[in-house]
Amino acid sequence: MTALSPLVIATVLVAGSLGAVIRYLLSRRFPVRPGHLPGGILIVNVVGSAVAGVVIGLAERAAVSADWRLILVTGFCGGLTTFSTWSVETIELLDGGRWRAALLNVFVTLVLGFAAAGAGYLLAR
Amino acid sequence: MRNILAVAVGGLLGTGLRLVFDLAFPHADHEFPLETLLVNLVGAFALGWLAGGLWRRPSTPAWLKAGVGSGVLGSFTTLSAVMASLVVLEREGAHLTAALYLVVSVLAGLAAAAAGLWLGSRIGRRRMPDTITDSGETL
Repeated sequence: MTALSPLVIATVLVAGSLGAVIRYLLSRRFPVRPGHLPGGILIVNVVGSAVAGVVIGLAERAAVSADWRLILVTGFCGGLTTFSTWSVETIELLDGGRWRAALLNVFVTLVLGFAAAGAGYLLAR
Repeated sequence: MRNILAVAVGGLLGTGLRLVFDLAFPHADHEFPLETLLVNLVGAFALGWLAGGLWRRPSTPAWLKAGVGSGVLGSFTTLSAVMASLVVLEREGAHLTAALYLVVSVLAGLAAAAAGLWLGSRIGRRRMPDTITDSGETL
């Protein structure tokens, strides 16, 4: 792997920051409500997984450079999606005795996330 | 607006920290993605610890929660990298590694969040004295 240029590193950070702001705005727009899944977080995690799959597929046939793969996958998708909020919200659902909602949050996120990443990859490669 | 600015700055920091882990512990396509696992476990524990403790105090400002929770820890951890790694591991035919990675990520991640919440709430419940009646030795 060649050394990363400061410009690429800066772009990765800005892309991650942009992803984080989009995630924050969506999590405010679709907040955690009793009886509902944490909607905003589910949306960003599935969309981010799909975009990551597409970019990795495109990079495989050299339609996207290694620098852009890093900016989009590590930067934007990494910033857009989150593991910490997902796991803490799941435990808080469990803690509140809502174990079915907690299990649903785990399985829906994993199944949709994997399906989105896999479909994106297969369509783009 | 202040909250959004805090998330943006936190997002820069969180992404930068994750990039450091990625560059420090690189892995080949067929190998176990240890760096993402480490990042996610540390981030889930830290967010649980804050959500169980500091976040429950009314005096904690909203911009701090947004900047550190959604910004730093939210962008430090990643679900898309987990999913992308699973797809790449499957492509490489490393089915066992993929299954192990998925199970360990989910179970250890939830355990880290639970441990963080539990420890955070123990610290959050500890009351500070309202007035200091002696010369300060109790602190």
